[in-house]
Amino acid sequence: MREIKLELNENRCKGCELCVQACPRDVLAMGSNINALGYRPAAVIAPEKCTGCKACALVCPEVVFTIYQSA
Amino acid sequence: MTENMHLTMMKGNEALGEAAIRAGCRFFFGYPITPQSELPAYMARRMPEVSGTYLQAESELAAVNMVLGAAATGVRAMTSSSSPGFSLKQEGISYMIGSQLPCVVVNIMRGGPGLGNIQPAQGDYFQMVKGGGHGDYHMVTLAPSTVQELVDLTMLAFELADQYRNPVAILGDGLLGQTMEPVRFPGMKEDDAEKDWALTGAKGRAKRVITSLELNPENLEAHNLKLQEKFARMKANEIRWEEYLCSDAEMVVVAYGTAARIARAAVDAARSIGYKVGLFRPISLWPFPSAGLARLAQNGVQRFLDVEMSSGQMIEDVQLAVLGQAKVHLYGRMGGVVPTPREVLHEIQKVMGGEAK
Repeated sequence: MREIKLELNENRCKGCELCVQACPRDVLAMGSNINALGYRPAAVIAPEKCTGCKACALVCPEVVFTIYQSA
Repeated sequence: MTENMHLTMMKGNEALGEAAIRAGCRFFFGYPITPQSELPAYMARRMPEVSGTYLQAESELAAVNMVLGAAATGVRAMTSSSSPGFSLKQEGISYMIGSQLPCVVVNIMRGGPGLGNIQPAQGDYFQMVKGGGHGDYHMVTLAPSTVQELVDLTMLAFELADQYRNPVAILGDGLLGQTMEPVRFPGMKEDDAEKDWALTGAKGRAKRVITSLELNPENLEAHNLKLQEKFARMKANEIRWEEYLCSDAEMVVVAYGTAARIARAAVDAARSIGYKVGLFRPISLWPFPSAGLARLAQNGVQRFLDVEMSSGQMIEDVQLAVLGQAKVHLYGRMGGVVPTPREVLHEIQKVMGGEAK
């Protein structure tokens, strides 16, 4: 079975929330911590639901996401 | 000079920097502070490409006084900061107005008071519009609400600064500075205006003096009267605003910058359920578009809803403009909380009374 790994580089995130809106499966939510830039970054709350559709990566203006899939 | 027809996807802060360069600005003195740091970072990279000077000063005070020095030689210069840093620049702004020096100053507001936080806010209205620094002064303050308007108003700001020999302010907030939108830039402009007051070396001509010091009270009053005459000309010629769906409106939302963008979405939503609501968006905060608001009140708008990301600062100018002819309600959020269109819609419904017509 194809495996998906969603990586979120939280220290690049400016907390714009676009990815949370874009994710069709509620994989993402806003975190409550403050990142290195001083913003409240997005967080992966349900990695098992991710299908690797890349919607988050496409809308993210700060190139926060990297998505891996097994061959 | 070629017009660039391409749309470029750019962050507000960076688009502002490119607009300044296109306007002929070749001197930028900055000091980093979130949420405007992308602007000095962009200038650090871009200025050498156009043979300009970028310098990161040791403090905000140093940066604004470097702008004063550069402006005195007749070049186009700019500095930028965010709320706490902008407070530190007030002294230099007062000196530049006293010395009649043109420049552009940028404030990308964040939550306050004090260090506050780094989220978008609009709590610096009083500081920008009612003075901030010392002495009898005003400066044209422009409040864009999209990245494209940020570009257009930055270009305009340099023109107005030279025209009046006075600093011009661009007032945005963290949301506008961080938002990425497609923008179109005009071509490069040459700053070739003859400045017969600039300090360029006195060889072959009488020396020129630029100062804000005048110890003789009568002379200083005469100087002030000259400045006041200039402010009166700005008031007569530089008022800008936008009206959206105001012609048949029973209630009008008043908001600027980011708050206006959110309010516009709320106005659209209110219209779709039958409320006759419009949006009045001041673009120049000083001079304030009082006449436009007064006309709406005279034409029968009985209620205004002032929406700000502050405790309600612009509302004082709105109330002054309508002079008791209409009721002015407030919806203000503070501390870097950005209201949603749904929340503004809810306030519209509260002010207009439950039933949509």
